[in-house]
Amino acid sequence: MQGPLIDTLVRQGVSRRTFLKYCATLASMMALPPSAGLAMAEAMAASRRPSVIWLPFQECTGCTESITRSHSPTIEGMIFDMISLDYQETLMAAAGFQAEEALHNAMKDNYGKYLLIVDGSIPLGVDGAYSCIGGQSNLEMLKEVGKGAAAIIAVGSCASFGGIPKANPNPTGAVSVSDIIKDKPIVNIPGCPPIPVVMTGVLAHYLTFGKLPELDDKGRPKAFFGETIHDRCYRRPFYDQGKFAKTFDDEGARNGWCLFELGCKGPVTHNACATIKWNGGTSWPVESGHGCLGCSEPDFWDAGGFYKALSVPADPLKIGAVAAVVGAGAGVAVSFANRAKKGAAKSAHETTTLADLEK
Amino acid sequence: MSLDAIPIHVINILPAGPGLTGNAPPLLHEISELLRHLLATGETAAIDLSALPLTPPDLDWLHDKLGKGEIAVILQASGESTLNETACPGVWWVTHHNEQGAVTSQFIEVAFVPELVKAHPQDVASGQEYLELMIADL
Repeated sequence: MQGPLIDTLVRQGVSRRTFLKYCATLASMMALPPSAGLAMAEAMAASRRPSVIWLPFQECTGCTESITRSHSPTIEGMIFDMISLDYQETLMAAAGFQAEEALHNAMKDNYGKYLLIVDGSIPLGVDGAYSCIGGQSNLEMLKEVGKGAAAIIAVGSCASFGGIPKANPNPTGAVSVSDIIKDKPIVNIPGCPPIPVVMTGVLAHYLTFGKLPELDDKGRPKAFFGETIHDRCYRRPFYDQGKFAKTFDDEGARNGWCLFELGCKGPVTHNACATIKWNGGTSWPVESGHGCLGCSEPDFWDAGGFYKALSVPADPLKIGAVAAVVGAGAGVAVSFANRAKKGAAKSAHETTTLADLEK
Repeated sequence: MSLDAIPIHVINILPAGPGLTGNAPPLLHEISELLRHLLATGETAAIDLSALPLTPPDLDWLHDKLGKGEIAVILQASGESTLNETACPGVWWVTHHNEQGAVTSQFIEVAFVPELVKAHPQDVASGQEYLELMIADL
C-alpha cells in the first residue's frame, strides 16, 4: 500500500501537531502513561495500512452508528485512513456482485494478514437461516472469512457474548464469534454499543505495536476493560463515604451521590465509560444520573433487573435500630416507617421510587 | 463517645465544599515532586487528569490553586488546545478540545516547554522548502 501514514495525513491537510494531539488523547483513553502518546505517534506515523474486512451479522447497526457518528468525524476518520477498509456493507458504495467481489479480492490479496471485524451474533437455529447475506449464512461466512484472518475483532456485546439476540429464550440460537472460531486470536470489544475510541484504540495498538493488546479472561483489552466502572467512577468517593441516592430525585440524587442502591451495575461492569465518557466526553450514564446497566458484561440483559441493587450494604447501626423497633411492635413500626418515608418524599419532592420502578 | 475522647489529631484537613472529594490536594505533592525531578534531571513528566477520579469542582479547585502564569499558548489543530503556564513556572495546564469545543483530554505537564509547542525538524524542513520556493518566485 502507500507510503508512511504521516505523508497520507499531511496530504489531507492533517498537521503533525493534530496527529500528536490525537495520539495524546488516545494514549490517555487507553490508560497508557502520558509519554506513550509521543511513542504511538511516531510508530503510527511510520506504519502502513492493514486491510480490514468488516462483516455485520445478527445486529442492529448500533455499533457501526457508534463508531461512524462519534464526536469528531475528522479524528475518528483518521483511524479509517490508517486502515484499508475493504468491505463494510453499511458504508461501502458497491452492492451485489461488486460488493462480494471486493470481499473476495481483499481476502485473496491479503490472505492470512487481514483483520476481520465482526458485529452481531451468529444464529445457529434452522441451519443459520435466520441471518443470511448473499445466500450465505452468517455461520458459513464467518468460517470462510475467518480462515484467512490474522485476527478477529468482535465489536459489540452481540459478537462478543451473543448480546440481546441471545437473551432468554434465544429464539434464533445466537452465539458469539468465540463460540465458533477457536483457532484465531479474538479480541472482544463488548458494549451496547461499544465506546468508539475503544475500537479505534485497539486498531491503533495493532498499528503501533504490530500485535493485539493484552486481553482479560473474557477476551477484552485490559487497557479499556481492566477496571470496573465503579473503580473509576467520579461518584466513588461518595460510595466510600456511605452517601447514596435513594431515589432518582431525592436530595442525594441532586448532590450527585452514589447510585448503587438504585441498581447501578458499576461494581461488576468492566468498561471505560467512567474515564472516556460518551458523545465526545460530554457525559456518561452515571454522570447523567442513571446507574450503569452493565452492557459490556455477558448476558447483561438477563442479569435480573436494571434497578435492583447488587446487594444492600449492611449498616450495623440501622439494623440495630430496626430490631429494637420490631421488638416494640412490628405493625406500628411499619406504619411509622411508611409515614416517615412519605414525609421525606414530600419534602424532597419525591415522585419516583425504586419500588415504583420494580413494579 | 465523642471524637475528642480518642487521642488522635487530624492534620491536613481536606478542603470541603459541594462536589469536592479530597482527591485533588495529593496531586499538588506529586507535581512538586515532578518539578524537583525536572530540575535535577531535565526529565519531563505529565499527569493525565482524565485518568483520575476528579470531579469538576476538584479540577476547579486544583486550577485555582495552581493559578495563572505569564504564558498562554493556543494551538489550533482540529479544535483548540490551550497550553497555559500556571503560577508555578514549569507546570503547564494542557487542555485539548475537539472541533465541537468539548474537552477530549486534560494534562498537567511538567516541562520547561510543552512537547506540542516545539516544531518537529521535518516540519521545519518543509517550512524552509516552502520559503525557498517563495523567494524564488519573487
